[in-house]
Amino acid sequence: MKLYEYETYDTIFKKYGVPTPKYLVVQHPGQNVSDFVEQYGDVVIKSQVLVGKRGKAGAVKFAKTGEEANEHVSALMQTEVYGEKPVSVIIQEKASIIKELYVSFTYSSKPRRPVFVVSLQGGMDIEEQDPSTIFTFEINPLEGLFPYKVREYLIEIGFDDKAVLRQLSEVIANMYKGFWSSESRLLEVNPLIIAGDKANPEKQKILAIDAVTMIDDDARIAPSKIYTARGAMGRPLTEREAAAHLIDRDDHRGKAGSYVELDGDIGMMTFGGGGSTITAETVFALGMKPANLTDIGGNPPAEKMNKISKIILSKPGLKAILVCGGTASNTRIDVTLGEGLVSAIEEMKRDGTFPEGLVWVVRRSGPEYQKGLKMLSECFVKNNIEGVIYDSELPLTEAPQKLYEILKSKNLI
Amino acid sequence: MEVKGTKFLNDGTGVIVIGITGREASQVVIESEKLFPGIVKCGVTPGKGGTVLKDDCPVPVFDTVKDALKVKELKQSVNTGLIYVPPTSVLDAVYELIDNGIKLMYIITEHVPIRDSIIIYELAREKGVTIIGGTSLGCFVPSVGRIGAIGGKDPSIAFRDGSIVVLSKSGGLTVTTSEMFKRRGFGIYMALAVGGDVIACTTFADVLPELEKDKNVQACVIMGEPGGTYEEQVAELVAKGGYTKPLAVFVAGVFQEMMPEGVSFGHAGAIVERGMGKATDKIKMLEEVGKKTGTIKVAKFYHELVNALISLGVKRDFEDSSGGDVKPLYSTLK
Repeated sequence: MKLYEYETYDTIFKKYGVPTPKYLVVQHPGQNVSDFVEQYGDVVIKSQVLVGKRGKAGAVKFAKTGEEANEHVSALMQTEVYGEKPVSVIIQEKASIIKELYVSFTYSSKPRRPVFVVSLQGGMDIEEQDPSTIFTFEINPLEGLFPYKVREYLIEIGFDDKAVLRQLSEVIANMYKGFWSSESRLLEVNPLIIAGDKANPEKQKILAIDAVTMIDDDARIAPSKIYTARGAMGRPLTEREAAAHLIDRDDHRGKAGSYVELDGDIGMMTFGGGGSTITAETVFALGMKPANLTDIGGNPPAEKMNKISKIILSKPGLKAILVCGGTASNTRIDVTLGEGLVSAIEEMKRDGTFPEGLVWVVRRSGPEYQKGLKMLSECFVKNNIEGVIYDSELPLTEAPQKLYEILKSKNLI
Repeated sequence: MEVKGTKFLNDGTGVIVIGITGREASQVVIESEKLFPGIVKCGVTPGKGGTVLKDDCPVPVFDTVKDALKVKELKQSVNTGLIYVPPTSVLDAVYELIDNGIKLMYIITEHVPIRDSIIIYELAREKGVTIIGGTSLGCFVPSVGRIGAIGGKDPSIAFRDGSIVVLSKSGGLTVTTSEMFKRRGFGIYMALAVGGDVIACTTFADVLPELEKDKNVQACVIMGEPGGTYEEQVAELVAKGGYTKPLAVFVAGVFQEMMPEGVSFGHAGAIVERGMGKATDKIKMLEEVGKKTGTIKVAKFYHELVNALISLGVKRDFEDSSGGDVKPLYSTLK
């Protein structure tokens, strides 16, 4: 789960000792905004969105007065950033930047260890920067990262500001503690700045003035228990996505609730992580457009299959349904298709909500597949549903091809 | 006497199942012992020591690994762990097995916290232990048997003894791919589901050197996915001559790159694994090495994997039983 900037400040930086400028999070203009500007002077105002590159999208503003700040707050709250609506706005004391660094922690799949990534030339466009100015250091996860080690690395890459060396190394080590303890996959600060201290002009201080955090969705304490729900696509969940989320929440038997909506017209009921991926990408490659993505597996009970089937079938504007999965080792085909899917079809027929006139292509194998596929075919006959059903004699990704041929022959694409 | 099978599963393998009385684990153990009796020696579930599994399955259950290995025959025969516990208990299970001297283990559990996987891999490396997973479905060696659930109740649908090794991040596709090859005349020497976790304790490149020196292996098929750099590591290994046999590869997930931005991984992912990690990057790197060595073929579509292997000159183990255009089992098309 990706965090909003203010969430990283509130839940990680404060706890583990990564200093930020003074800040205030608001959703509306108000006296508190004016008071904040009154107290701290020049401020930066930033939309709280999950997408990156806010600066370039005009979602970062500056203000000198409370009135100015409040105008920006109203305007930013009403402005989408790359299609994403801000959840709030952060007002931050403007720091006097002396130097900008890039610092992040993540896991690298080559050493299979945490890594400390640092550049002495932080700021915008870090990705485009000359790779030789960005340094990566492995961390032994059983030992952690001590400030002395950070100091060694900083000196090694040419950092020469001795006045802040100790302070900086401690902030970076704290950042690692925050990364590790919050079970992040990524904690990035760009820029981490060396700033002048208004109150104490001969001194400098270290401040994080942005933060990108991705918490491991599989963390020991799931991020969904700490942070509010959010869409993975940089937008709020649709009604059907939200309903799908609930399917797995209180029932650990199998998985049926992963459902992401797209703007296509092929309803996808696909099984298994790998199988779902390659089925969807074959659909794309053939020029068809999935209406959704799913990834059903782990032998879910019929009730779960019933729920996800109804969600998939209830999306308006469908042209066809592709039920596609490999040869399951564990997932019962009679339970998932024969009972779960069939009951969903029957109930939607009864309620008058079943999408009529769709083309169905089914390809599935696994435990009790003969029974399951037969049950489904009987349901097709009984309910006047048009479709074809294959077992694993048909190579998995030829199922989307069969669908393509049928739609083509019917002049539906 | 020569060992039959591989380092990952052979005729000397004896398995201890951690979390054996769980719904999935007990079903898999009961099924597996019917198909290939004697591979699973015992199991552990804290508090359930002494209970008996369903269907008169003769596999004994203990409270701890230590308790199990107090039994002399088990001490002698158990050398492999199979972990089926909930995600947040996996780290504990790994420690328990390592501390009791087990040197090979499979983590079947999905959704192991990444931080735990990092610790597990570090431990494995420090202690010289081989760990497969998390999110492994297990291993299948037709001439020996299986570990885990690969192939379900009737693995004969997908598996016949042969000379091809299938390595897959996806558990489901391990079986589906083996079956596709079987229908076209290629048998399986070993199918290993290495798991698709970002931090995999055993990677494709960790396995290939084993296959290089095994004369029973004619060729390898790899099912890759985006995430991590494990396919890129394969390309590097082949480029430096660490694996020279034919290799057919399919990398899933090209379409994910066409998806709207938002699931992006920040800058760090891109910096740390610059030019790596995406499906297209993996394909490009494998194809470049393949051009030089002539031993790698990347299939554009999944179902073209078999032809990719054939194009590398790999010979069939038995006759092709697929019969041209496949007719549906049922049709209500008008």
